[in-house]
Amino acid sequence: MLNPSYVGRSLPTTEPVSITADSVTRFARALGLRDPAEPTDGSQAPPRPVPPTYLISLTLPAAERLIDDPDFGLDWSRVLHREQRFAYHRELRAGAVVSCEVTIESIKTVAGNDLLSLRTGVTDAEGLAAEVWTTLFVAAGEPS
Amino acid sequence: MSLHELEAGAAVFSASFTVERSDLAAYAEASGDRNPIHLDEAAAKAAGLPDVIAHGMYTMGLVSRAVLEWAAEAAPEARLTEFSARFAKPVVVPADGGAQVEVEAKVRKAEGDSVELAITVTSGGERVLAPSRATLTAN
Repeated sequence: MLNPSYVGRSLPTTEPVSITADSVTRFARALGLRDPAEPTDGSQAPPRPVPPTYLISLTLPAAERLIDDPDFGLDWSRVLHREQRFAYHRELRAGAVVSCEVTIESIKTVAGNDLLSLRTGVTDAEGLAAEVWTTLFVAAGEPS
Repeated sequence: MSLHELEAGAAVFSASFTVERSDLAAYAEASGDRNPIHLDEAAAKAAGLPDVIAHGMYTMGLVSRAVLEWAAEAAPEARLTEFSARFAKPVVVPADGGAQVEVEAKVRKAEGDSVELAITVTSGGERVLAPSRATLTAN
């Protein structure tokens, strides 16, 4: 069982990290996304847009402190990804410097299993660029 | 063609992907999600699964690919503004031949400058993402 007193709490905002061009290209290619066309006039190509689902590779690690927190009671080996939603407020491209703030939005308990909903705000220098909602199903553990 | 010509109920695209174990290994590296249930048959079976399963986010990523490829032709002025999925069933990926993932999109709502797609995603006859939705908004 997760500790319900954490609902409404936010984790400390992560240190800003640069979304590298290399990580964007590798992520895009792993999904088979088309490489952008090279400019035909010899100018330099603009930085590549961040793929729609790329932000999960930042937001889930940002929530890892919950796994390390013994008072919260989250056992990652019993977790299944149940739902995922992204809202993109502005286009992010490689080179963007972003930080993540994870908030525990809700914990619902059904028959000993927990549904944990997290909202992560992804901000860059201009403010909120995207929001990422993740719902995790946490299976009931062995009675202790 | 532009977003304004789309009407609710219209079928807009379908796509089919073959998913192999090597695709999951590449995705694990690129995403940092190296949970062994996506890579190793013994680990998957120990977790009570029939075989290795695809990362839900890999399947969702394939759907994003289908949406972007369609939008590049049909609505190049539009931007993806919302994207969601519920992971209803796992995509089971056998070592031999992999799995097929079928994606079909219809217009759910068309309002002003934005269009919401309802996307059906199946594998082995089962709905694996139910529902998945994507909203595109004209800039």
